[in-house]
Amino acid sequence: MKISLNWLKEYCNFSVSVNELAERMTMLGLEIESIEEPGKEIENVFVGKILDIQPHPQADKLVVCKTDIGKGEPLQIICGAKNMKVGDKVPTAIDGAILPGGFRITRRKMRGIESFGMMCSGAELKVEEDSEGLLILHPDAPLGEDIKKVLGLDDVIFEIEITPNRGDWASYIGLARELSAYYDIPITLPQIKFSEIEKTASSISSVTIDCPDFCPRYAGRVIQNVKIAPSPDWLARKLISAGQRPINNIVDITNFVLLETGHPLHAFDFDKLNENRIVVRLAKEGEQIRTLDGELRTLNTSQMVIADAIKPQALAGIMGGADSEVDDNTVNVFLESAYFDPVSIRRTARFHNLLTEAAQHFQRGADPEMVTWAIDRATSLIQELAGGKVLKGILDEYPKKIQRKNVKLRYERTKKRIGIEIDKDFQRTIILKLGFSVKEENEKEVDFIVPSWRHDVSLEEDLIEEIARFYGYDKIPNTLPKIRQSGAVFDTAFKKVNDIRTLLVHKGLTECYSWTFSNPEIMQQLNFPENYLNMVVLQNPLSKNLSTMRTSIIPDLLTTAQKNHLEDTISIFEIGPVFLPTEQNLLPDEPQKLGILLSGSANPRLWCYNDRKQFDFFDLKGIVEDILNELYIPYRVEKSDFPLFHPGQSMKITNQNEELGIVGKLNPKIAHELEINENTYISELNLNKILCVTPKKKIYKTISEFPSTSRDLAILVDRSLPVSEIFSSLKSVGEGMLQKIELFDVYTGEQVPHDKKSVALGFTFCSNEKTLTDNEIDSVMKEIISTLQKKFNAHIR
Amino acid sequence: MIKDLEQIKEFALQKIKEAESTDILEQIRVEFLGKKGKITEVLKKLGSLLPEERPKVGSIANEIKEIITNNIQKQYQIVLEKELQKKIEKEQIDITLPGRTYGNGHMHVINQVMNEITGIFIQMGFQVATGPEVETEYYNFESLNTPEDHPARDVHDTFYIKPGVVLRTHTSPVQMRVMEKTKPPVAVIVPGRVYRVDNDASHSPMFNQMEGLLVDEDVTFADLKGTLMYFVHKFFGEDTAVRFRPHYFPFTEPSAEMDISCTVCKGKGCRVCKHSGWLEILGCGMVHPKVFQYAGYDNEKYQGYAFGFGIDRMAMLKFAIPSINLLFDNNLKFLEQF
Ligand SMILES: [Zn+2]
Repeated sequence: MKISLNWLKEYCNFSVSVNELAERMTMLGLEIESIEEPGKEIENVFVGKILDIQPHPQADKLVVCKTDIGKGEPLQIICGAKNMKVGDKVPTAIDGAILPGGFRITRRKMRGIESFGMMCSGAELKVEEDSEGLLILHPDAPLGEDIKKVLGLDDVIFEIEITPNRGDWASYIGLARELSAYYDIPITLPQIKFSEIEKTASSISSVTIDCPDFCPRYAGRVIQNVKIAPSPDWLARKLISAGQRPINNIVDITNFVLLETGHPLHAFDFDKLNENRIVVRLAKEGEQIRTLDGELRTLNTSQMVIADAIKPQALAGIMGGADSEVDDNTVNVFLESAYFDPVSIRRTARFHNLLTEAAQHFQRGADPEMVTWAIDRATSLIQELAGGKVLKGILDEYPKKIQRKNVKLRYERTKKRIGIEIDKDFQRTIILKLGFSVKEENEKEVDFIVPSWRHDVSLEEDLIEEIARFYGYDKIPNTLPKIRQSGAVFDTAFKKVNDIRTLLVHKGLTECYSWTFSNPEIMQQLNFPENYLNMVVLQNPLSKNLSTMRTSIIPDLLTTAQKNHLEDTISIFEIGPVFLPTEQNLLPDEPQKLGILLSGSANPRLWCYNDRKQFDFFDLKGIVEDILNELYIPYRVEKSDFPLFHPGQSMKITNQNEELGIVGKLNPKIAHELEINENTYISELNLNKILCVTPKKKIYKTISEFPSTSRDLAILVDRSLPVSEIFSSLKSVGEGMLQKIELFDVYTGEQVPHDKKSVALGFTFCSNEKTLTDNEIDSVMKEIISTLQKKFNAHIR
Repeated sequence: MIKDLEQIKEFALQKIKEAESTDILEQIRVEFLGKKGKITEVLKKLGSLLPEERPKVGSIANEIKEIITNNIQKQYQIVLEKELQKKIEKEQIDITLPGRTYGNGHMHVINQVMNEITGIFIQMGFQVATGPEVETEYYNFESLNTPEDHPARDVHDTFYIKPGVVLRTHTSPVQMRVMEKTKPPVAVIVPGRVYRVDNDASHSPMFNQMEGLLVDEDVTFADLKGTLMYFVHKFFGEDTAVRFRPHYFPFTEPSAEMDISCTVCKGKGCRVCKHSGWLEILGCGMVHPKVFQYAGYDNEKYQGYAFGFGIDRMAMLKFAIPSINLLFDNNLKFLEQF
């Protein structure tokens, strides 16, 4: 909301600096978005009167004017504008004047003739966006007066953001109330004076309220024989300062009174109302109205209209109807001032996406007791500016009286909540200054009656906030509380997940952070299995490709790989939730998943590495295993057939048949399609499942004091034999003597038959009881060899 | 024979003197003292001597052996010293060459900041709580005193999933979930993703918040101010100014917004702070009685404070990141800066 300081001072004449006022408003809870001083830069621009206009002898498009500025000789000024005539008053910048933007005016020759100044357009003075020609001033503008005074530019405009609870602040009177309470200066309301004629409004019109829950109060006045005209300068300027465009005196007055009081009014052309009467009712299903913005709107039975005897003439509290609009031919006016139920206004305004000024005021809660003052204020202005006869009486229907609330304050509760003793009298005085009154009171507490405009106050805490606000948040001390816990634990995974994150970072991976939206089409294109396609769907997504919540982190990793395809190493991970709808629950499961992607060179291009090894499957498997081992998670790996993966390089990790995650090479076909490196390896782990697995116990194992002995063995086995089977076959061999088996080489190639591979194993023998003899070790080796021969038809090399 | 031995000795000592490497000295040792060495060879002939001459020759031989051994040792020290010196000279490297590494990884800047912030609060005695991102309207709005037709819902442009289910617009619903699970005292912080229908240069439809909730018997507004002041001083530095302004949130009363002195201009006024010298970073207040009512807490017995702020904004301020969209764009050139 834009607030003019000059205008505000009409209601509460405080004398503080702009900075102090801005600071004060801020500390009272009025957020200042900006402060502008429109006339700040303008100097030496006065009201001038054009005495003479002659063509410029050397230039078709220029004229030579004589302009009187009320002092000294009239100035000769060369001008390019065409919209002025002799006798017009215009803003005139003299030699040495400064215009907005620091633009300096000096006397100079234009096409051979000297110009002693400049006559200004509205745009040049920044009072209009665009101008065609000079700004022609009102004929009454005093000659020689500083233009800043005349145009109201000697002003400060505050842009203020008003919180939704304080609808009462959204007006000049509302702001003045707050500041008058703070500065302890009385508020001055404008005088209302107008004369009524004998004939009563009720003799020619009526108001009927069919829906008192939606419209507790509706008041109207009839004013006849008004003269529609443009508004005078003072009124137009005020609307402009609020960012509004003047239309005509009647409409402008209703808008002005809205700015002044916060109470929306509406003027109907009385003669366009069928039977000249008002019916406040709910719309009929399918009923239509063309609103002032030209839209034809179809209504339903939950929406309130202001109708005449036959049809809707306004969307109540939101926008008037085009059919009963006040225009240049209007003679008789029906003026409306009402109190509408905030919720009903809000619903209808949202339904039609029509959050007008009026709707905003009503939905925050207008002041039901302002209804008659506002209508009389507008009536008074109408009679002053548009003439007209005011018919006697207000048609004031108030079927559902809105009672003032009362709220109790216990003085000692203020200290309990705020943490500092605030004087009882101070507490009481503040609340009274804000317009509350006392219903009952004693030493310890007081029962306040809440003013009709304070819809936000209904609890003791609301009063305490008022006290704290006026006391000053800055004067409340800063103390540190004793922090205690009940013993309940709300999250066990946060730290462990963070440990995994740290581990991966230490392994050289970089963490990504993606939006958790996903594109369902991409999921299908990538050939994700069916269970990934059951997704949480957004009703109002930003776009189609962000219309679901992700069920996997893999697409995000792939997108990141695509984005960074020019990097020769990509080793990234992301930890975050995926969203899995369930049959039985309203909310989806949100397991935390870890996605890892390796692509490109495994080592950097650095002097000490001879070649640039490309990442392979085992780089990624190693990282995944390190995580699981770090957490002491028991697991098995098996081949898997995840469709995004290379069928020959794909595995899953399980614990007791529960799948913990997958590791694989990106299917080269997909890599091609996405135009990313073919050597791309991806893993996705379900961290929730992993953290649910009971970790292996950490138990001390005796360190033998006897020496250990190693033996190496190379065997030839079928190429397709998984090495893990060799290991598991040797589990029970050696009776505690076989301490460790190392797999130190696996070879396929020219040296061995094409369907075979050579596997080199290192065995370490050691006993806790004695030094092992060669004989003992030989016999275990024999057992190992025979086991391998028997089970795998292994050849010893 | 003694003569032979003397000759061998002279010969050996000469050779030792001339030896320039430890290898040569080792050869000399073998040549003269080894199993097949010259002295041994001489001593093998000891048998041919008269028995009474044997001890004398034997002792002379041993004496010579000892002299040769000592000389070898002495020369060995000298030669070794020279050799090591040479080796050291040869092994000069350019220590300015980069170290052998695969490079460090980078934790995402949001999580770095999240960890720093949670660390500060955990150290004060808070614990971390988390909650679902797809949330019911009940937890996200209603139980936080924001019924369906409340104008405060306008500032939360909400993503809807189905009737009664939304993407949470703030981390505040976790307050209610925590309070439902336990009686006071409660002291939690809640980091997490939140969502609003908003996407431009300064807004991301997904962003991160941190919520704080403290409920006990005597928690005051002064405690709220003190806690947040402590946090700001730890996170932004002791010289950061802090101010609290009255504000409005449906779920706190009294409510406040907290500003810190602009991290760019230190309060002098610049473009970042819209020339005010202040940056708004946080909303807070005393937990609203209606919220306690939903939680089943006795408003007369308990009171508490709550606060919430944007983690992304903290990160942006701390590292002078100009646009929130950089945070979620996953450009490695950005991620690797932190
Ligand atoms: Zn600044």
